[in-house]
Amino acid sequence: MLSLWSRLFQRTPPADFVRAYEAFPEPDRRLPWREVPYTVIDVETTGLDPRHDALIAIGAVNVENGRVLLKQTWYSLIRPPPDREPSVESIRVHHLTPEELRDAPPPEAVLAELLQRIAGRVLVVHVAEIDVRFINAALKPFGGRLRRPILDTARLAMTLHLNAQWLGEQSRDMPAPAVELRGLVSALGLPIYAQHNALNDAVTTAQLFIAQATLLADQGRNNLAGLIRAGGV
Amino acid sequence: MDEIARFLRSYPPFDRLPDQVVHQIAGELQIEFVRAGQTILTRGGEPAQFLYIVCKGSVDLLRSGDQVVDTLGPGEAFGHPSLIRGQPPLVTVRAHTDTLLYLLPGAIFHRLRAEQPQFAAFFAASVIERLGYAIQSRQAESNPALFQTRLRDLIARPPVFISADATVGDAARLMRAERISSLIVDQFPPGIITDRDLRNRVLAEGLPDTTLVRQVMSAPATTISADALAFEGLLLMLERGIHHLPLVDHDRVIGLVTHTDILRRQSNSPLFLPRLLQRATTLADLRRYTDQVADAVNTLMAAGARVSDIGRVVAVAHDALLQRLLHDAEAELGPPPVPYAWLVLGSEGRYEQTLRTDQDNALVYDDEASPEAVRYFERLAELVVGWLVECGFPRCPGDVMATNPEWRQPLSVWQRYFRRWIEVPDEESLLRTAIFFDYRQVYGALPAEPILRTITQHAAEHRIFMARLARAALRQPAPLTFFRQVALERRGEQRDLLDLKLRGTAMVVDLARLFGLEAHSNETNTIARLRAAMAAGVLSREDGDNLISAFELLSTLRLQHQQRQIANGLTPDNLVNFHQLGPRERREIKESLQAIASVQRGVALMFQTDRLA
Repeated sequence: MLSLWSRLFQRTPPADFVRAYEAFPEPDRRLPWREVPYTVIDVETTGLDPRHDALIAIGAVNVENGRVLLKQTWYSLIRPPPDREPSVESIRVHHLTPEELRDAPPPEAVLAELLQRIAGRVLVVHVAEIDVRFINAALKPFGGRLRRPILDTARLAMTLHLNAQWLGEQSRDMPAPAVELRGLVSALGLPIYAQHNALNDAVTTAQLFIAQATLLADQGRNNLAGLIRAGGV
Repeated sequence: MDEIARFLRSYPPFDRLPDQVVHQIAGELQIEFVRAGQTILTRGGEPAQFLYIVCKGSVDLLRSGDQVVDTLGPGEAFGHPSLIRGQPPLVTVRAHTDTLLYLLPGAIFHRLRAEQPQFAAFFAASVIERLGYAIQSRQAESNPALFQTRLRDLIARPPVFISADATVGDAARLMRAERISSLIVDQFPPGIITDRDLRNRVLAEGLPDTTLVRQVMSAPATTISADALAFEGLLLMLERGIHHLPLVDHDRVIGLVTHTDILRRQSNSPLFLPRLLQRATTLADLRRYTDQVADAVNTLMAAGARVSDIGRVVAVAHDALLQRLLHDAEAELGPPPVPYAWLVLGSEGRYEQTLRTDQDNALVYDDEASPEAVRYFERLAELVVGWLVECGFPRCPGDVMATNPEWRQPLSVWQRYFRRWIEVPDEESLLRTAIFFDYRQVYGALPAEPILRTITQHAAEHRIFMARLARAALRQPAPLTFFRQVALERRGEQRDLLDLKLRGTAMVVDLARLFGLEAHSNETNTIARLRAAMAAGVLSREDGDNLISAFELLSTLRLQHQQRQIANGLTPDNLVNFHQLGPRERREIKESLQAIASVQRGVALMFQTDRLA
């Protein structure tokens, strides 16, 4: 039955590191948001289509007790398949050259470390859709995919904007917030770290996240469940 | 995180730490977001676990009763007093706006304090320690030779002694054999004999070489502790007009330094000034002399001297000029018909003149002066004031000069003036006459200064006078806003200005005058007055030390500002654009003004200014 199921969906049996990841219990959604451990990630890719483009860098920073911990950061390059090396246009954005990437660890090693780092934690991503699709595409050969809950800071921004309108703090004519990270962060008066480096973007996103979570808690959504309703994917 | 390291590096004390250490610190930080109104630390509550650094936004420090003591902005830190002592915080810290904070874990903070003295000094528990450190670090970074070297370390060889009963011939032969220019006379207290003494007191006087050393030596010699700083030795030599300084340790001379030992490489040394003045023959020469004084100020400033020490150097140099001018005037007009005294007032009287500023002077003559004698002093004043103008000291716009008949009077009239000011005080005239209480006699045989002191020394017995003087001193409150930030002014097109004199040093000068008089002190110098007041117990040690630090800092910033203007060909003023100052200066100014404000609050109560109608 199980083998039929997996054959039907062409799911590869999970690798050991995937199994270890999946064995972790999910965080309790009733916990106040500050008591939940999070990992904020950001990825660099050679383009926008997971079928043709490759994941080439990943940055992560942990949030605990509601604080961004700069001591718990992680950054790694990922060696792309030979047919998916970055194009000249994409190098302009991420400044990663094919030479640098050829020396990077292979996807398997990086993905194993990623899953180990995020096991039992809530993942936070800005515009999660793209990053999650890329990571899931990369995990597919190992029989894994990212587990929920995953929080999206762009969605949280939209919820906060709607709440503000509903509460009358903002005029209805106010345009919805830009989803661009830099715009959201500076609207809250927060500093922006150098862009288009996966680690800096992860830290910038983490700052945005703790500010959003604090604002939501002020509006009565104090626990993880509230965060998931406001910005889960 | 390069940005965070860069952010930290633009604020003290991180700007003084090695790059690599700042990067390590950045890697240890935690980032926290706090909403406006949220409490971060609670007075009397849990001790701080972190050093908190404001990244964006601002926080209020509150004492009991929600009284705001201070508001901190980006780059400013809090939590360290509690962290250092491991005790509950003394103030509540509450976010004033939505605020992003960088948190440095306590363990890392303690390690940095142990490893980096600069860091430890900066986070010393009290404002006074911090202001003191600010002054110290300015000095240390400029010229370690003058301000860190102990005189002891300049001793090149052991001293050579001679008996007081030896002959000058023996002394000369000993000097030749040892190839030195001075000998210590072996007695207690020690004397000194120099090659100049042999020339001026023996040969030029036609004395034989059998003359005894004791007849021509200088005894007791001016000495200084071997542990004094090189700069203190320099200052003493300048004040006494000497070139050899024996160093003592436990009452014994252990060596000797000359001014060249101290200032080998400096051409603008103030020690060359007396010779320059002696050689001057024309007014143009004297003008050059005052230019040299200004250069010496620059040199000393660059060398990191305290402004108060520079003020003393300038006072010696300008007093010498005045003495020379009065001497020349007497040579031109004939000897004075009756004794007189030349007084300097205001900043000059307080030993606080650093640049050539407006003249403030007065003349006192003997009560027995005949009408001709009165005309003599009128001409004398005209001559000297005119020469001073040519030497670069403009006339006083308020006409407080010896040329003004009101301020050129016999002693009995001056006594009446001071009695009237003290016994029938009137606030408006006090604002004008305050500088007369900063008088100092620079020349003349009439002992005007000690006689007038007998009046001013008892000013404190007149409580109405003291209350009015206090109220006059409080006319300029420390420029702080409701949120304890520096209040800035606007002048025409220019905004964000701070007047470092009117709303800075002058406030301390006024307070010091008040406390000095209260302590029955004869001092005129601001710092000396504050010290006297602390010694007499009329000013608390903490307040006094805070005022002294604040005064040094504001004076230093003011002089630096003016020197920059002069270097750029501008007319020096006291106005700085606050936002163009570095974060270190801004913070120091803020803390200085807060220290002044705190003393001002006590003054109203202490002198009962509210009792005045």
